[in-house]
Amino acid sequence: MKPVGEEESSSSIHHDSSIPSGDNSVWADVSPLLSAACTDLQEGELINGDNFNLFAAMSALEIMDPKMDSGMVSTFYSIDEAIESGFAPVPISSDSTVNVQSIIDIMDHLLACEATWHMGHSLAQTVFSCIYVLRPERTSSQALLHSYCRVIRATCRAVVSVVSDARTNEEEDLFTMTYGLPFSGDEDAKGLLLLNAVEETICRQLRACKATRRRVLEALVTCLPSFMHFLHALNCMRRPQGRGLELARKHIAYCISELDSVLESEDFLRLNIVENGGNEIEESTTASGRSPIGFDPTLNKRLSAPTPPRAIKLLSWKKAIDYYVKLLHNLDQICVFSLEPDLEAVLQFLIQFQKSSPDLVARAHLQLLLVQDGKLYGRDTFLTICARSLALDVSKNHGLHTNEYILQLNQLMVNLLKILCANTPWQRRKLGKILNDWSIFHVQMGIAVGQMMQHDTSRASKNGDKSLLILNHIYGGLDEQINWVAIRFLMLGFDLDLYSPSEYCMVYWYMYIILWKLAERARFRVLIVVNTEERKAKRNKEYSRDMAREDRISLWVLFLKCQTCLAQGLTVMIAALRNEGMCLKSQGPFNTENEKFIQHFELLQKASLPEYDAYESFSKSTSHARLDYLPMYEYFHDAQKIAKDIKVGYANDPDKLAEVQGLEKVAERNIVAVNLFCQDRSLKVSFEFTHHPYFATAVVRRS
Amino acid sequence: MEQAAQRSSTIVASTSEGSNLDPISRVRKLLFRQMLVGIKDGRFFLGNFHCIDKQGNIILQDTVEYRSIRRSSPSPTEQRCLGMILIPSSCRTSCHVDCSIEEQLSLIQLKD
Repeated sequence: MKPVGEEESSSSIHHDSSIPSGDNSVWADVSPLLSAACTDLQEGELINGDNFNLFAAMSALEIMDPKMDSGMVSTFYSIDEAIESGFAPVPISSDSTVNVQSIIDIMDHLLACEATWHMGHSLAQTVFSCIYVLRPERTSSQALLHSYCRVIRATCRAVVSVVSDARTNEEEDLFTMTYGLPFSGDEDAKGLLLLNAVEETICRQLRACKATRRRVLEALVTCLPSFMHFLHALNCMRRPQGRGLELARKHIAYCISELDSVLESEDFLRLNIVENGGNEIEESTTASGRSPIGFDPTLNKRLSAPTPPRAIKLLSWKKAIDYYVKLLHNLDQICVFSLEPDLEAVLQFLIQFQKSSPDLVARAHLQLLLVQDGKLYGRDTFLTICARSLALDVSKNHGLHTNEYILQLNQLMVNLLKILCANTPWQRRKLGKILNDWSIFHVQMGIAVGQMMQHDTSRASKNGDKSLLILNHIYGGLDEQINWVAIRFLMLGFDLDLYSPSEYCMVYWYMYIILWKLAERARFRVLIVVNTEERKAKRNKEYSRDMAREDRISLWVLFLKCQTCLAQGLTVMIAALRNEGMCLKSQGPFNTENEKFIQHFELLQKASLPEYDAYESFSKSTSHARLDYLPMYEYFHDAQKIAKDIKVGYANDPDKLAEVQGLEKVAERNIVAVNLFCQDRSLKVSFEFTHHPYFATAVVRRS
Repeated sequence: MEQAAQRSSTIVASTSEGSNLDPISRVRKLLFRQMLVGIKDGRFFLGNFHCIDKQGNIILQDTVEYRSIRRSSPSPTEQRCLGMILIPSSCRTSCHVDCSIEEQLSLIQLKD
């Protein structure tokens, strides 16, 4: 250690050269003065100005605290210094077999890095912790490494662009931050061409080489194409109006099969490494279990300012592969989607898609596919879609497209679809909030359409202008949409474990109210559709009625009815159990039942769902429920009967069929349970979600 | 450069006005001025002097961090903005205040 005085003088020389003081001023050393002042200060006393705020001062970054100070010097001062010290040599080894092995390790590690990044960590600390990726120009003599680094940069760029366009990264706000990392577009695009050439060369080499080297090369040959196909698939999926989906699907299928063979290749890469313990291999970021060369996550730490450096743990190689397999399957799911201009099909698909809780990248792709330029698939306006669901034709009514209500409706639909692509917690919160927008819009449109209907002269309809009729029908359809959002909001609460068993009664009561309304509105739509189609058929003898559509909606109505019966049955059953003291009352030491009710359903009530005082109605309708109340069986019996009927209708839709079978089982089991505990009231009752994620099955145990 | 350093210390030494103030009041007069703090790992922080406590921990506002790119000095420096920072006294190695030559520098001078 240098003596203090000397160090000060040397530092003042240094900063004088690089950190200028103001004009005509100099840096004066105040260390001795400060230490004298500190000695004089009382314990706990501060020297501070009038604007000092202790609370604000708490948020100051503490220098040299490893959790806050991202600028702390770690292994290297800079990338250049790391390179000069031989941390990332090119070539990695003079022995070409070792060289290729090392490159495979780097590729494996980068794969783990990329997956970790997708999980919401910063790009600077993951993919760009690799010096070879940061400085691709250095590796130009090493075709394989060079082209791979370029491809991975291009892939990162494609993913950043998708996610930032879709803005699905609400919670993972680090995701799209690129902190001025090197992302040169055109250069990286050449990586694919290069990689293709490299692959060919390797295949040629493979035919004439020794056994050990052969295995390494084989491993390389299996993993190289998957990277290329992944990038191709991402690019194809971005083509407008889903035109690239078919091609993307081929690339994805190729990728998945390649990943399978990569997993197989892992075994023989590992043969060389005997000394590693089994545990380490599970945690390792490379297939071989070796640690890769040229990575230092602390290098870019300073780039992540102002966020404090985060401790991140990279996914293991195995988990990274699993992640990619899931991602690819999700992308494949998107690619096979029919792109039908049908709102119900879209909503149904979205719900089905969300069931596998897809990750950010897949959700971003789906959102961009669904909503482009404010149109569904960038193709159909939402006016066309909404009218189509009512069997109306809007092609002759061009004026409608500029109608202010239609424009607003368009915006609401775009928002709804975007929200449905978000992750579940965020989705639920947003759905609750947009309910209010929808209901305000509903009221406004109702007033406007009502006034228009009054002033309407019959002349307009004779001219073939059906704008008003269409507006009126669309207005009628709004109610169904609002209730659909509400029921999705309520059901997501089960996915997120927001309801405690003592609250099931009020949740099912609310679901029953909403489902009933939804089923009513859907039934109303069947009537409109039938009516319109009949009129068309009368006018045009050759017009064949679209029976398929009618059937589909009727089936949907029955499906809703089945759920309504179940919700009703569950409400009565749980209320009866509660009233007879056989299961928990929803009373805790902190909140009354009314307060809990408000906490759960405040957003729905703000949107007037239902219009009356829901809590009063709930408590009145459940307070007298008794176990010997006969209709309880009937509700479950009805549900069971409807489920049996509609199974045939859903024979071609395996997902829906499974759900209906689940509903049927819930009804069946609950009938059995009700029978049991009516006979023996000392039984213990609990609830399970084994047959359906949202409808509980009562389970009876002897205490 | 060495001259500049010497000059700054001579200015401090030559002025005598205000030396009758106690150190705490004199430090108080430094508040809101540009302060340059060097720390053990070679970085410098330039910011507005906001607060100091008995232990000598300093809070600077609107700080810019200066850091050399290589371990071996002299080397080019990088800089970035950090906002409000707390520099623990344990890692502080130097501390300077921006003073105009014309200005009364007595407040920096220590009583003998």
